[in-house]
Amino acid sequence: MSHTTTMTTFADDVKAIPGGENLELCYSCGTCVSKCMIQQKVDPEYNPRRLLRMVMEGMKQEAFSNPTTWLCSECDLCYQACPQQIHISSVINAVKAIAVDDGKETILHTAKVNQQTCVGCGLCAEACPYEAISLVQTKVPFRGLIQVAEVDPGRCMACGLCSAICRSTSIGVQIEYSDEAIIENLWNWMLPQGVEE
Amino acid sequence: MVDAARQPRIDLRAFTEVEKVEGFVGNFEVTLREKAKYVLADRCNGCGECARACPIEVPNYFDMNLAPRKAAYIPMSQSVPLIYSIDMDACIHCYKCVEACGQLEAIDFGQEDKLVKEDVGAIIVATGFGHFDPSVMEEYGYAHYPNVITSMEMERLNNSAGPTAGNLIRPSDHQNPQKLAFINCVGSRDKRYNPSCSNFCCMYSIKNAILLKQMNPDVEVTIYYMDIRTPSKGYEEFYDRAREMGIHFQQGRPSLITEDPDTHDLFVHAEDIALGKATEKKYDMVMLNQAVIPQPDQDHMSSVLNVAQSPGGWFMEYHPKLRPMDSPTDGIFFAGACQGPKDIPSSVAQGSAAAARASRILHSEEWEIEPTVAVVWPDRCSATTRGKACGLCVKACPYGAVKIEGDKAAEIITAKCHGCGGCVAECPEDAITQLHYTDAQLLSQIRAVLADKPEEKIVAFRCHWCSYGGADLAGTSHFEYTANERGLRVMCSARMDTDFIYEAYRLGAGAVLYSGCHPQDCHYITGQVIGAKRAKRLTKMFDRMGMTDGRFRVAWISAAEGDKYARVLNEMQAVLDAMPPEALKAEIDKLRPEMEKRLKKFPNVPGVSEAMAFSDTLTEAINEQKEVA
Repeated sequence: MSHTTTMTTFADDVKAIPGGENLELCYSCGTCVSKCMIQQKVDPEYNPRRLLRMVMEGMKQEAFSNPTTWLCSECDLCYQACPQQIHISSVINAVKAIAVDDGKETILHTAKVNQQTCVGCGLCAEACPYEAISLVQTKVPFRGLIQVAEVDPGRCMACGLCSAICRSTSIGVQIEYSDEAIIENLWNWMLPQGVEE
Repeated sequence: MVDAARQPRIDLRAFTEVEKVEGFVGNFEVTLREKAKYVLADRCNGCGECARACPIEVPNYFDMNLAPRKAAYIPMSQSVPLIYSIDMDACIHCYKCVEACGQLEAIDFGQEDKLVKEDVGAIIVATGFGHFDPSVMEEYGYAHYPNVITSMEMERLNNSAGPTAGNLIRPSDHQNPQKLAFINCVGSRDKRYNPSCSNFCCMYSIKNAILLKQMNPDVEVTIYYMDIRTPSKGYEEFYDRAREMGIHFQQGRPSLITEDPDTHDLFVHAEDIALGKATEKKYDMVMLNQAVIPQPDQDHMSSVLNVAQSPGGWFMEYHPKLRPMDSPTDGIFFAGACQGPKDIPSSVAQGSAAAARASRILHSEEWEIEPTVAVVWPDRCSATTRGKACGLCVKACPYGAVKIEGDKAAEIITAKCHGCGGCVAECPEDAITQLHYTDAQLLSQIRAVLADKPEEKIVAFRCHWCSYGGADLAGTSHFEYTANERGLRVMCSARMDTDFIYEAYRLGAGAVLYSGCHPQDCHYITGQVIGAKRAKRLTKMFDRMGMTDGRFRVAWISAAEGDKYARVLNEMQAVLDAMPPEALKAEIDKLRPEMEKRLKKFPNVPGVSEAMAFSDTLTEAINEQKEVA
C-alpha cells in the first residue's frame, strides 16, 4: 500500500466524525494559535493549526503524540476568532477519538479512583464537565461487588473538579495537584506574609 | 476629470441621483434628481469666499472625518465642477455667505431638488465600492483605541493635501509614529463578515508601506498577512522591492490588539506561522486594511436599474469570463468596482471596454436581438379569461422583460427579452409562446421521436448552451452511449415545459432526461434555477406516482462534460434494461391516464402546419411591435 493512501485515509477518518468535516477549510492563518491560552500558558508545543495540517498530511503517529490532541479544554476561544468558522475543538476531539480507538493513552495525569474508600455516591459523575466518570458495578477486594466510580481516561481532562467535590477523598488527579499538595502550597504562600505582618 | 469636464460632448451632472430607469436598449428614459446646492451653478466661480465667511464647521467625509469643513463647502480642493454647495443639515441661516458672495449673487436659498428626464441610448454604471466598518470586529479595538486607524484614514493623514499636510501623526499624542503595522484581510476572507477576497489590499498595503519607508527610512513597518496575492504584471517585483527596503512581512492573522492605556501604544497578538509561535509585538500605530464591500445603496441601485446582484451583493455581469463589462440587461454596462472588487488597472480596462460596448449601440441604427423571443397570446392570458393576471411569467423572467399593467394581459418588452423561454414554460394557460421553439413545434418533435417503439426510447431534453454542447462533445470524442437516445434542443432548461414531459410519458417513452447547465454557468442568469425548481417538483411527483427510479433523470451537464453525458445516458439505458418489458409496459399504462389528466387543459395542440401558421402570425405581431417601438 502506498504512503499516499494512508494519508488520505486519516483525513477522511477525521472528516467522517461529526465536527471533523470542516477540517480542510483551514488556510493556516494562525488566529487560533494566537488566541489559545494553552499554547501561551501551558505548553508552547501546543498548536491547533499544526495539528490540522498533520491530519491533512496524514501524519497519524505525529498527531497522536502531539500534545494538541490531548490538551484542548474546549474553551472555544479559537472558534469565535476563526475566519473560516471551523469548530476546531470538534476537529481535535475527532482526532482524539481516533487516537483512543487506536489504543493511545492521554498524556494527562487523569483522575484515579480509590476503590477501597469510594462510596459510589455519584457526585463526581454529576460534576464532571467531560462526562468521563460513570458508576460501575465492580468487584473490589475486601468489599465485594459494589458500585464505584470509574474514569474514562480518554475523556478525562484532569481538571480536578471530581477531586474537589468528593466527600470521601476517594478520587484525585496527579500527585502535585492532590489535596495535600495544594494545602501545603497555600501554607507556603501565606505563612511568610503572616510572619512579616 | 478636468478634461472630462472640458470636453463639450460630456455633460457632467454632479450632486445628481438616478431616480428611475425605464425603457430598453437604445431607448432608455432616465429620471434624474438634481439636488439643490443652494448655489447657482452658472454664477459661482469657485472663489471660496462663502466658505471663508461660513461660521459652521462639520466633519469632512472626504478626509474620512479627520478634518472639518464649512457648511458652505466643496469636498476637496480639486473638485470638478468647482461649484460650492451649502449643506442645509448644518446651515444655521446666518446668510454670511450671501454677504460674502456680494455682487455675484450666486447663492440662492430658495433652490429646490429638480427632477429631470433624459433620453439615453446606453448606461454605464460606475458606482464604485463601500468600506467595511472594522469597529464590529471588537478584537482589533477600532474606534476604542485612538491609534488603531484604517488605511483610508492613514492615506488622508499621509496626503499632502490632507488635514495634516502629509505629516503622518498618531491620533493619541500627535507624535510621528516609529513602529507601524498593517493588518490585511480585516473583514475579508472571513466567513463571519465577507467570505471573499478584497482583491487589491495586498498591493495597497505594500504601496502604503513603501510610501512610509520612502518618506522616513527609519520607520519600522510590518505587514501582517494570511497570503500575499500579487497576480498582475509588475506586482511581484513591487513586492520584492518592499522586502528589499526592509519592510517586515509576518504571516499570521492577528487575533487581538491590546493597548497600554497610559501611552496608547498597541500590542498586536498573532502567531508567527513560520516559527509556529504566538507573538505579541508593540507598535505605535496600527492600520487596518478593511474589506471592500458593495456600496450601502447598491440594493437600491440594483432595483432602479433592474440589474441582478451576485451573492456578495455586487452587480451581476452577463458572463464572468466572456462579458464581464456587460450587464444582463442590454444597453447597461459596468465599469470598475461596482461589479466586484477591482484595482485601478482592471477598472480602467473595464471602463474602456464598457465605453466601446456602449458606442456600438450609439452608432447603430438598428439593434439585433435574439430571434427566439417570447410572445403573448393575449386572448389566453388569465387577465383576459379570469380578469386577473397570475404573474408567474413576471416572476420567471430573469430580465424584467415581462410587464403586467393593471388588469391588462401580460406583455413582453421584446427588446429586453433574451429568449430563454422561462415564461413560456411557466405560463399555466399556455398563453406565451417562444418563436422557433413553440409548444407545437416541440410537441410534434416529441411525437416524431416516439412514433416507433416508444418504450425503448430515451427522450433527452438538452439546453442549447451546455447540455447540447456536452452531447456534441460526447459525439466528437467518440464516447459510446446508447443509440436509443433522442435529443431535443431548447434554449434553456427553463423552457422545458411540464407538458413536454407529460406528453412524452403519455406516448409511452421509456425514459426522459432533463438536462441543462450548472447553475453558475446558465446563459440566462437564473434560467437554470427556474428549470431546476420545476425538475425537482416533477421528480417528487413521479416518485409519488410510483415511477421506477431512473426513468425520469435530472442532470446538469456542461458543454465540457461529454463523458458525463454519455455516462448519464448509459445509466438510464441500464435502468431500462433492468426492467422486464412487461413491467415497463404495465408502468407506462398505469401512468398514462394520469398524464392525460394533466394534459387536459391543453386540449387541441395544433399540428405542425397549424403551428407554422401560428408562428407566422406571431412574427407579424412582432414586426408590429417593432414598428411601435
